Amino acid sequence: MSREIVKEEAPPFSCVVSAENRGLASLRSVRWRLNLGILPPSPSVDDLRRVTADSRRRYAGLRRQLLVDPHVAKHGGSNSPDLVMDNPLSQNPDSTWGRFFRNAELEKMVSQDLSRLYPELGSYFQAPGCQGMLRRILLLWCLKHPESGYRQGMHELLAPLLYILHVDVERLSEVRKIHEDHFIDKFDGLSFEENDVTYSFDFKKVLDSMEDEVGSQGNSKKVRSLDELDPEIQTIILLTDAYGAEGELGIVLSEKFMEHDAYCMFEALMSGAGGSVAMADFFSPIPAAESQSGLPPVIEASVALYHLLSIVDSSLHSHLVELGVEPQYFALRWLRVLFGREFSLHDLLVVWDEILTADNSPLHKDSGNEESSCFNLLNSHRGALIAAMAVSMILYVRSSLFATENATTCLRRLLNFPENINLKKLVAKAKSLQILALNSKLSSSSFTFDVAYNRSKSAVSGHNPSPGPVSPTTPLSLVPDSYWEEKWRVLHKAEELRQDSLDKQAPSGKRRWSDKVKLVLSRTESDPSPARAEKYKKGHRSSVRRSLLEDLSRHLGWKEDTETGDCFDTSNLEDRQSIEVQVEGQNETSIDSICTAEERCDSGSGTSVSEENSSVFSDPASSGSSTTNDHENDTEKSSVASNLSSDEIDDRHLNNPEDSPLPVSSPPEDVLLNYPHENESSGKMVSALKQKRHLSGRFQWLLKLGRNNVSQEASDKGVITESAKSANRDSKSNTADSSTAGSPSNSSPTIQRDVVDQNVMGTLKNLGQSMLEHIQVLESVFQQDRVQVGSLDNSAKNNLVGKGQVTAMTALKELRKISNLLLEM
Amino acid sequence: MVLVLALGDLHIPHRAADLPPKFKSMLVPGKIQHIICTGNLCIKEVQDYLKTLCPDLHITRGEYDEETRYPETKTLTIGQFKLGLCHGHQVIPWGDLDSLAMLQRQLDVDILVTGHTHQFTAYKHEGGVVINPGSATGAYSSITYDVNPSFVLMDIDGLRVVVYVYELIDGEVKVDKIDFKKTTATTHSAH
Repeated sequence: MSREIVKEEAPPFSCVVSAENRGLASLRSVRWRLNLGILPPSPSVDDLRRVTADSRRRYAGLRRQLLVDPHVAKHGGSNSPDLVMDNPLSQNPDSTWGRFFRNAELEKMVSQDLSRLYPELGSYFQAPGCQGMLRRILLLWCLKHPESGYRQGMHELLAPLLYILHVDVERLSEVRKIHEDHFIDKFDGLSFEENDVTYSFDFKKVLDSMEDEVGSQGNSKKVRSLDELDPEIQTIILLTDAYGAEGELGIVLSEKFMEHDAYCMFEALMSGAGGSVAMADFFSPIPAAESQSGLPPVIEASVALYHLLSIVDSSLHSHLVELGVEPQYFALRWLRVLFGREFSLHDLLVVWDEILTADNSPLHKDSGNEESSCFNLLNSHRGALIAAMAVSMILYVRSSLFATENATTCLRRLLNFPENINLKKLVAKAKSLQILALNSKLSSSSFTFDVAYNRSKSAVSGHNPSPGPVSPTTPLSLVPDSYWEEKWRVLHKAEELRQDSLDKQAPSGKRRWSDKVKLVLSRTESDPSPARAEKYKKGHRSSVRRSLLEDLSRHLGWKEDTETGDCFDTSNLEDRQSIEVQVEGQNETSIDSICTAEERCDSGSGTSVSEENSSVFSDPASSGSSTTNDHENDTEKSSVASNLSSDEIDDRHLNNPEDSPLPVSSPPEDVLLNYPHENESSGKMVSALKQKRHLSGRFQWLLKLGRNNVSQEASDKGVITESAKSANRDSKSNTADSSTAGSPSNSSPTIQRDVVDQNVMGTLKNLGQSMLEHIQVLESVFQQDRVQVGSLDNSAKNNLVGKGQVTAMTALKELRKISNLLLEM
Repeated sequence: MVLVLALGDLHIPHRAADLPPKFKSMLVPGKIQHIICTGNLCIKEVQDYLKTLCPDLHITRGEYDEETRYPETKTLTIGQFKLGLCHGHQVIPWGDLDSLAMLQRQLDVDILVTGHTHQFTAYKHEGGVVINPGSATGAYSSITYDVNPSFVLMDIDGLRVVVYVYELIDGEVKVDKIDFKKTTATTHSAH
């Protein structure tokens, strides 16, 4: 379609070519026609005229030829038609009737689809005129391309094209009506005297009458100079020459020829206009000629999509692959209708704007086979953008995809794309991914079309277009999966061992507490606070707790070579102090080790936490870390760990047996199910976040349990809260709750499962839980006030009371923060 | 564009085994909207077969029909035309145009379809058409010597009807057509 354009000298159009194009392109249908290659890129009026007239004529001819009316006798042909051929029951496929019946069948299929087209915009699309046009266009295209026939979905591709044409035609006529003055030269409308000798003509009179006319039209229709008008309208007017037959725009936009133009656009879209992406391919079941995989093009495109997803977000990709969600289940619809079913019409127009703007010419034509993508879809800018768009959509709903272990639910989420979406963000993301898609050099040899994603392949750069925690694939992929599996097994064994040992020990309550403590302390980093020491003197429970903490920290820290101490002494409850010290000492190292371990961890099914989530959780996490004093020093996440410290363990008395194993298992799981983070702080945050998540799942239990044992814990609580306050400004309620949440549950396998489930729990749930926590803390603070802390010193008590209020305040603050975050989400 | 198939006097299984294979290959479901049958099928199986071609089936009673509950005459409106259906053995002399015209006036129809003579005839008469589709199987008839299998397909389109006649002559299907235009539109009457 591109040709040498000779620009006209006509004054209205001699404004800069770019302005001309810009002007033309302000109307969507024109722009799309430029993009699809129907209209020449920088047209002069003549060219435009020729091109549009040609295409319209073509369509009219096609219509005449193919829409058969068997009653109409063929003129010019044989006078006596051969009735044996031409009777209605004729078996002959060439007979008019045969064609008629075939058309009728096709028409029936098309009508069926059309009747279901855009029911929500039924006033336009279901109107008989519009339906008739759509039907004819589709029929003719299918008759012209018998090899593809009619497939469901083609009508959805056509509908927006017709719609924008209609919109633009209306716009043009609207502009014409309003700004009539610019289109019509009043001079022509005046009646001249019989005597048309110009020099005797009274110009002045004419001008007066013109002005009178103008004035009489009322104030509403003032004649404004061209410059005062809206620039868009300005260009429309400029491009519509009053003296040309219809002006440029008039050529391209005409109500009479909407059907013809729509047909041209549809044809160009389907055939790809010589480019790489031809929509018709997506409807054909046979593999493309140059396809390397021998799969039908749409399947191949879906695989390309998944491939891109795997580059961008491998955890989500593997999650989907594990669930057995094949890309074509949802991608088929997405690709065939170019996302027509996922967005509302107006959103869709925006999306198509982007897609059609992308260049469709095939890339990598000259380069050797190694360089070109083995996916046909990614072989052009437009194709890459389509793939990127799809991936961006998948990423948009990733949290809900992770939240389920069920393939059906995943598909349901993907196929019912959410209604209110931030389209700009989606599109921007798609654009960034498009670059990635184009740049990814895939060696065809290393890629297998198998579903299993082979991580060890290729030199895909760990490009991280989005600010979210996207895994850098290259470094992490070097760690084989078996490594983590092994670690998990060891941890698990250790956990079980500990469980057994615990059983022999103190009452279950203590065990749970100790577990909690362990959990908490494992995350703590830090200096043992004097309050803590004080607290530890409290009861025998603490010793058990300490030992458990030791154990926990040992387990968590085992990856670290520095962690040598086998300080776990399951039966040793005597030397509490030493244990305390040990535990505390270990805590720091263990925390460090955990953090580093987390960084190195590559979880196959790890959920990546969005930044907002992590920030949210950092707040509650950081609250109330009684044992750790270094919250401020480190990231807030680590404070979560400290929050989970024994403060709350003492506060909340967990009688629920289920809770007990949780803290034990969850930390290892936290470690294992870590997100691949690129930096330490984020790693910590994530781990803490995960832990938080697990813990928050138990909040309800915590609540119950907490209330049950208020009196007992009162004293402890007092100390704990005190220490918490001293240690951390954030509300300890979080820690309290989280620690109670962390109460061990009975069987580690169940915990494991629960944890995994919780692992993928929505952040909203967690937020709710943390809010509950805060509320609980507040409660505890008040209870604490009530509680007779007889055993404490006066000073401690005073501190307690004073700090009770502080804690309450912090708890409220946390609640507020959380609610804000929730609102954002 | 309504296609109406008119046939009758098959006399299966007494006088003929089945429709000629060439006819059978032409009659495929989906093309025809109505079937009107003059009678003498004679057994239910034939009715079932016809029903597979088209669900809208109208039959009148012939003297050899085993199903006794078919009506003697039937009228129906298709498009702008009123059609009348009768077997024809009731109208004597058999096959006489004037007598059939009497029946046509009686039924007040534009197109009257009768059979019994096993002979194809089509008359334009008094602003109406009287059609005899003959015998679709070419069954023996005591009043006709040479019976060729034949049937009629009517293409009703607005005020115009095109009557295609399919005859099996010497093993070949021959087609002929007759055009008929109605002068005035019928008020749509419920039948």
